[in-house]
Amino acid sequence: MRKSAVQAGKRDGVSSHGDIAGRHLDQMRRQQLEEAVFELGGSLNVRRTALQLADLVQPDLADWTMVVVADCGTGELLMLGDADPAGVVLGRDDVDGSALGRVLRSGHTEQVDGNDLKTLVPVEPFLASATALKPTEAVALGLTARGGTIGALVMLRRGAFGSEEVAFAERIAARSALAVDSARLYEERSRTASVLQHSLRLPALPDIPGVRLAARHRAAFEELEIGGDFYDVIGRDDDWLVTIGDVCGKGVEAAAVAGQTRQIIRTAAHFDREPAAVLSATNNVLYDVLYDSTTTQFVTVVCARLRPLPNKAGANVDLATAGHHAPLLLRADGLVEQVDVYGTAAGVVADLPYGTRSVYLDAGDTMLMFTDGIDEAWGEAGEYGMERLHNLLPPYAGAPPETLCEAVEQDVMEYLEGRAHDDMALLAVTCLT
Amino acid sequence: MFDLEQSRDALRRYEEALADGDRVKIVALVEELLDAGVAPLDIMTGIVAAAQRTVGERWQRGEWSVAQEHAATAMAMAACEVATGRLAKTPATRGRVIVACAEREWHWLPAAIIGCALRGGGWETTLLGPATSPLRLSRYVQDIGPVAVAISCSVLGALPTTRRFIETSTSAGVPVVAGGAAFGSDPIRAKALGATAWAADAQGAVDAVAALPVVVSSVPPLPQAPAREQAVLELSHRHLVDRIQQEWSVTANSEPGPGQATLRAFARDALPQALYSVWAALLTGDTRPLSETAAWMADLLASRGLDAPSAIEELTTVLATVLLDYPLSVELVRDHFRLR
Repeated sequence: MRKSAVQAGKRDGVSSHGDIAGRHLDQMRRQQLEEAVFELGGSLNVRRTALQLADLVQPDLADWTMVVVADCGTGELLMLGDADPAGVVLGRDDVDGSALGRVLRSGHTEQVDGNDLKTLVPVEPFLASATALKPTEAVALGLTARGGTIGALVMLRRGAFGSEEVAFAERIAARSALAVDSARLYEERSRTASVLQHSLRLPALPDIPGVRLAARHRAAFEELEIGGDFYDVIGRDDDWLVTIGDVCGKGVEAAAVAGQTRQIIRTAAHFDREPAAVLSATNNVLYDVLYDSTTTQFVTVVCARLRPLPNKAGANVDLATAGHHAPLLLRADGLVEQVDVYGTAAGVVADLPYGTRSVYLDAGDTMLMFTDGIDEAWGEAGEYGMERLHNLLPPYAGAPPETLCEAVEQDVMEYLEGRAHDDMALLAVTCLT
Repeated sequence: MFDLEQSRDALRRYEEALADGDRVKIVALVEELLDAGVAPLDIMTGIVAAAQRTVGERWQRGEWSVAQEHAATAMAMAACEVATGRLAKTPATRGRVIVACAEREWHWLPAAIIGCALRGGGWETTLLGPATSPLRLSRYVQDIGPVAVAISCSVLGALPTTRRFIETSTSAGVPVVAGGAAFGSDPIRAKALGATAWAADAQGAVDAVAALPVVVSSVPPLPQAPAREQAVLELSHRHLVDRIQQEWSVTANSEPGPGQATLRAFARDALPQALYSVWAALLTGDTRPLSETAAWMADLLASRGLDAPSAIEELTTVLATVLLDYPLSVELVRDHFRLR
């Protein structure tokens, strides 16, 4: 199964492992190796690609291999191979003046005697394992791609390298270098992206006495893990603001606005936790922020000020919405209620007033907040719809909020049957008994 | 070490807390066991997973609702968080392993247990939650460059995406360990899907990861005819489930009554499994999922007071009729979807 072509060749073509001198690579085997180079493109991870390259040239072209890759940012050298698959990092200065240093600078092949290994293999545990092999010769080939030498392929043999074999290995190195360089570029980009992405990740939920919170989130582009849906829980002691919202649009642009919106809400709530006041301020700031935006027209948000009672089970909730679905209340007895509260989406018109609606959560009651990725999920029978959501909830009365969120998420995902979906977010607050 | 007496006592207390839905008690119990020196993996397998099995059986016997089952799962999640939180305090000494559940796989507990076992074995672990898409896994594989991907698959319906996971990983040269109830008790299905190794249980996964090659080649394609038929079945899944539901007397009954909600829930949760077993056989060439699913459904039906043997016999006929346009599937159903 694995190692299909390459492995079969290894078994057939090599009679006794370790004796490469005079080994003849027939045309078919060469073709297999050249094809195997294509597989390197499957990895975009520098370390994995380098390990694949080492695996590919062993044992047909060499008895021992080490791949050296220069880091895009720092220029540090990462050495990888069977001797240490996790890799060893070395400063660029450490190879100055050595044969390896020359290869990395010029891109040209260096061939050295087996007694002079340190000039190509400058670091342990590679040096010890290379020395133990007692090689006759060592060769280092430059990995040159897109005009730059980004690394080197060091190969050792118990026998000598013929000039024709070196030429073939150079061809393999040249083609592999492109895959290694792609992985380097990907890693550089993804490092930047993951830092930014991390700052846009949705927050962990705090522990609030008297209630339990749970949330779920699935981005439209699941591999991105960020999107236009957001939630946040802000506050302290017995006075909290629970919020969920949806930036129109999806992907990175929407995620960026979602991050901004969360900060705006946080700042507004710092001055006044009253939901209507938070939304008025958020609306006005977003109006300015989105004024020149080409990707986002508006943001919908619902804010719930949550005040658990100090001496008994229960919590007061004041709600205001800016164009967002009102939360559903799942009462402990299984009754589902929709809260009657309306308001205009934020960021479209400045200076809007917002109304507040108060509800009471009794012991065992749950308030479920969600985004339209849930009810507008599009399956074979059309929209998932509010009715399906209403009908799903009653059996989960009194269940922990994690359970409720999981059940809704699972039901919607199954309804979608693998179809694409919009960003989805759920946040449930259950009043403890 | 955790002796049998202690273990029984802890399991009893855990199950009591579970029945009460008392999260605080569960967290306290796990903390107490950890403080007493019980290994996190022993708590996960000996208590949390053992209790979950009982919960599953209660659901199967119709004693617990799906909601109760889900609530118990939330408690198990809390217990796992405590146990893995404790593990995270010891430094990892080996490379990173991604532990993933494929699409349609919502049973995150087995994956959490594998993650716990691997972490205990010294590996750094990254757990991707339930029902992960191949694209998301791919991104993690490229970003992390793991030494291995471990796939936990307990439902047959998740096997198609599991195969995609194997393609995702091996095309980046990363070896795959697969395991879970959907693979049965031998390596046949895992190997047929192209997994580098199969693991029977958590300890097996630890041993398998330790023995993996550093680099693997991408898996060759699956046999074309059955793989294509499975893909078409998957595209028509909802439609096929609806038709089976209408034509099978057990689920077709539309008279209102208290039994109806139960039957509808049964149809929703159990009926798709019959089709999943066909998918599994098409993808892996292993026909046992069909007979095993027939036996499982018979148990469910019997516990709901129905005449299981004749209901299954009828279902075989319904399946063969509904799947008429899928020649390989019809043959599989006729020959193997039956009670032994």
